Amino acid sequence: MSTAGADKKPLRYSVRGKDTRFFSAEGVDELVAISMALAQELWVVKERLAAYEGLAAKKKVFTAKEIEGFKFTPAQRAKLDAESQAFIDRVFFTLRERVEGLAADPDEPAPPKEP
Amino acid sequence: MTKYVNHDLKVSPTPEEAARQTFMSSMRMYVLHDLANGMRTVYESEVEPKFERKNKRTPKDGVEVHRALKKDPTFKFYSSMRCNAQEMVFRSILPTVERSQDTLNKKAKALSRSKKANGTVETDPNFKVPRSVSAIDVHRMPGNYDTEYGPDDVTQGAVYDNGISVFSMGFFGENLDDIGSSISMFIKNKYPKFAPKRILDMGCTIGHNTVPWAKAYPKAEVHAIDVGAPVVRYGHARAQAAGVPVHFHQQNAEATDFEDESFDLIFSSMFLHEVPKKGIKKVFKEARRLLKPGGLMLHMELPPNKMLGAYDSFYLDWDSYYNKEPFYKPFRDMDPRAVCADAGFAKSKFVQYVIPSLGQYGEKAVKDSVKKQTGKADDQTGRFAAGIHWYCFGAWK
Ligand SMILES: C[S@@+](CC[C@H](N)C(=O)[O-])C[C@H]1O[C@@H](n2cnc3c(N)ncnc32)[C@H](O)[C@@H]1O
Repeated sequence: MSTAGADKKPLRYSVRGKDTRFFSAEGVDELVAISMALAQELWVVKERLAAYEGLAAKKKVFTAKEIEGFKFTPAQRAKLDAESQAFIDRVFFTLRERVEGLAADPDEPAPPKEP
Repeated sequence: MTKYVNHDLKVSPTPEEAARQTFMSSMRMYVLHDLANGMRTVYESEVEPKFERKNKRTPKDGVEVHRALKKDPTFKFYSSMRCNAQEMVFRSILPTVERSQDTLNKKAKALSRSKKANGTVETDPNFKVPRSVSAIDVHRMPGNYDTEYGPDDVTQGAVYDNGISVFSMGFFGENLDDIGSSISMFIKNKYPKFAPKRILDMGCTIGHNTVPWAKAYPKAEVHAIDVGAPVVRYGHARAQAAGVPVHFHQQNAEATDFEDESFDLIFSSMFLHEVPKKGIKKVFKEARRLLKPGGLMLHMELPPNKMLGAYDSFYLDWDSYYNKEPFYKPFRDMDPRAVCADAGFAKSKFVQYVIPSLGQYGEKAVKDSVKKQTGKADDQTGRFAAGIHWYCFGAWK
């Protein structure tokens, strides 16, 4: 992606010698990258919605231009930042569970033996 | 967000870009805090006991921890997400910088020429950038410190400034100068009679940790060198904007143009770990050549492996394997005392300190730490986590 004018050399976005591969199953590394990007984009939407709400509360009527120019108050900003942490935790819950799940009770009744 | 870039070269992200940037700070916090702590828990409760059962001892160093942990999915997710987060930090600020490129270059030129401060900048069109910088995107920063998109270009300076603003999650302080501010305050209090007349910062990038030295010792003439032309140009403009005189030069710290015994204080921060081992040895010899007798050489760095336990060694060395920091582990495997001694510094003149972050602990704690040095590092040293401390070492000549 480039936002430069036609006469300009676009900036480099990718890292030379891309080398990040951790999972042996094919595609998993890419899926991690994709889900992180998705999470980020979803966050953008959520933040935009919060802007709508912030503005709606303030005015009742609004224009797109007004939304574009909307700025969060420091208190709203702090709330959003805290919410984004919780949001990440939700999306990647499976990783937290991997850790917290270690606290298994030794007496936990076992399921029937797998066929 | 790029909220720690608060000077005349500030860029203006659109609301969407700003949201992507703040998200990346949160994401990094999640990876470095939640995922990192989780990985340690998995290591301590599963991986290490398994190793112990098999080998009748615990892992002896970071490499053994690494080998044992590598197959665990927790390690894989941590690693994969940390790499992605690192790249996404830079991608989150690139469109903002790209859009402002022309304005930034114009503003930087005007600031360089302005009389807001009497600093200077020198770049050399025939300068040979070492391959350790020109051939790699260090810590996954596209374009690294040296790419120039046109004449007198400062783009990579802006990429670095805005990138570390998102990356540091506040741990580098409001002006990204916490390292320089904490350490210069410590040195002033530790050595009240030391009044350097000439100071040199090696591997200064955009001079964010040079400026605090010029503020701490306003009578000193302060010089800063780096091999990247765009970063020294940007650094000069940034210092001018702050009204702080600093003389920036595009120079290689392994062999500079300065005269013998021309500096009282030679400082660097986060520099040595990006230099190959051979180069580090040359840098120390050069520092000794440049120092006046009675002068101080001081390098802020990540703590050496020698000071850390096996797990913490593994944790810090991770970057060397996976984050395009090939020289990071070789440097951290070196013994700071031996490197100083090999360059000719007297063994008795070696110093090392662990200094609390000014931004996190405040002035009193930094001053109190002058008397409370234990010479030990812990898992808060050099790491982005609550309670950060900065490690530094060096020698008097
Ligand atoms: C991580 S940055 C240091 C940033 C800064 N000093 C700080 O406090 O955050 C490392 C810098 O060292 C520079 N560098 C690498 N090799 C060098 C050399 N041989 N001489 C001078 N600078 C060098 C790089 O261009 C880069 O700007």
